[in-house]
Amino acid sequence: MKKIGVFEIAYKNLLRKKTRSLLTILGIAMAAWVLVSLFGFNRGYEASLNKDIDNLGFQMLVVAKGCPYEAATLMLKGGTGLKYMKEDIAATVAAEPEVEGVTPMLMQVVFDPNKGEAGGLAAFLGVDPVTFPKMKSALPFKAGGWFREPEAAEAVFGYEVAELEQREVGDLYLIPEKEVEVKVVGILERTGTQDDGTIFLPIKTVQRLFGVRELTSIGIKVKKDADMKAFEDKMYKLPDVQVVSLSQVKTTIMTLVSTARVMVFSIALIAILIAMMGVVNTVLMSVMERRQEIGILKSMGAMAGDVFKLIWLETVILCVGGGLIGTGLALLTARLTDILVRSLLPYSPSGGLVAIDLGLVLMTLGVVTAVGLASGVYPSWKAARMRPLDTIRSEVES
Amino acid sequence: MNARRGTRIVAGLFLSAAGILLTAAALSAAVGCDLNDPDRDVKRLFPASTGYKTLYVSIAKKGGDGLLRQIEARLGDKFSGLFETADVPFTMYEIYKGADLIGYIHGVNQKGTYGGLQVFLALDLKGVIKGFYFQKLTSRAAKAFRDPSFGDQFIGLSLADFYNYDVVSGREDPPGRVGRIKNPEPASEKDFRAALRATKKNLVLVDEFLLGNPHLKFFKG
Repeated sequence: MKKIGVFEIAYKNLLRKKTRSLLTILGIAMAAWVLVSLFGFNRGYEASLNKDIDNLGFQMLVVAKGCPYEAATLMLKGGTGLKYMKEDIAATVAAEPEVEGVTPMLMQVVFDPNKGEAGGLAAFLGVDPVTFPKMKSALPFKAGGWFREPEAAEAVFGYEVAELEQREVGDLYLIPEKEVEVKVVGILERTGTQDDGTIFLPIKTVQRLFGVRELTSIGIKVKKDADMKAFEDKMYKLPDVQVVSLSQVKTTIMTLVSTARVMVFSIALIAILIAMMGVVNTVLMSVMERRQEIGILKSMGAMAGDVFKLIWLETVILCVGGGLIGTGLALLTARLTDILVRSLLPYSPSGGLVAIDLGLVLMTLGVVTAVGLASGVYPSWKAARMRPLDTIRSEVES
Repeated sequence: MNARRGTRIVAGLFLSAAGILLTAAALSAAVGCDLNDPDRDVKRLFPASTGYKTLYVSIAKKGGDGLLRQIEARLGDKFSGLFETADVPFTMYEIYKGADLIGYIHGVNQKGTYGGLQVFLALDLKGVIKGFYFQKLTSRAAKAFRDPSFGDQFIGLSLADFYNYDVVSGREDPPGRVGRIKNPEPASEKDFRAALRATKKNLVLVDEFLLGNPHLKFFKG
């Protein structure tokens, strides 16, 4: 005669009510899915934000006073208020001992009547050919490279703007309104940042073409051992300028995101509690339906501990099964979650927003198993306490 | 039985999610040429229309390299450069009046001398041009090219007319209706030819993806 183990009995018991077991597993799977995706978002968002900030090449931006505070976010997305500050501020900032390097920038926008039906705007960022490429050394080129002369009639195109304008290295481009030709010397790879939509020109060329001698912003790279807080305070004392520190930007964005995250975590917690109640309900119903069987088992010599173990195991199988499906779903739909979250948030960094690794999967499975063990205690205890004669008699009476 | 149905539901969810992911990945690969404001533009080009349907197609998805070669042969020129590739998604609009299909709108990107051109065509069900316009144009002669008198010269032409036009040499042999299209600004000959190449490319793509190749019989290549 074949000997049957307790695991097999538990498994077969669950198969007796397939739909109920499947729905319970799906409930747990949904909760696990939300949990993994949320923790993955928690990790991914901050990592991508840090990467975006690193890719910017500078940790602080000085802009002309009057630039809105939202410039913090606008800056990451590529916008900038067209207020000007004097050129010599760059030299003043560069002289500070905490500064590793500065790069002056001048943004200019023109109206292009031939963009769309009603015209559109075309933006140009004037950058210093010496300091800017050094600070943005992480920017990859699809073709060509940076302009070399400070006043060259040359341009570097971000990927998307190059695609829109169908420009390649060696092509000419006509600056709208000014009707001035520049030669394309570089096309950047797609980065997913504001750089994709930017046309870079040498700063002196922009100043000459647009007749503006001032700057719109200065990027500052601070030495690694510098006291950022003290340096920020020092920068705030500069006249007519406003300082946007990327540590502030990060804190602001993370605060905004944290608020949303707390709400979503609360929802996840509720989902887990509902799933837990579902498990308790399923197993308890199963126990009540099998009163007679449990009574017979006990009358045949099964100890309370054996019955407890059997019912508890059923709960654990449900939870681990749900956990596995849920984490699998989270892994499969990480990209979809990324797209959905990106469409909901006012600002999203360019990298992946959802980072799921083995550690997170194992942790979630651990949490789900623990939830399962906790949920199984009451039904198992209830089953273990059943008295054989009472259960058999109750079946006969009913 | 119930468990099997449940398994099917789960499998369906997986497949749907995977489908959405693959579509999203494909769409992010390259940028096509969409109408800036489809609701407004469709109504302007087809005043009698009551609705439209947007289709996303690409050479890579429909036929890969083989189809690309066929399309290049029908165009009479190779696809070239960083941005004219088989994986560019083309956005095509089917225009409806009630339940009836009444026409199509399609635009293509084309390299010009100083920047990109976006040439849109409004077509009837036989692929005859009913409307021509530049959604975007970077050119020294932009004003002249965007003048309605230039676009009006394309009305009534179809791919059958364009097959005799060589996009590389800019000549039509034997001379016909395409060759009679006047360049409003001779100094911008390159942009003029770019506009004609974009129109022919547009018509070839519409013939291939929307009309079922009724103009293939006119192709002598």
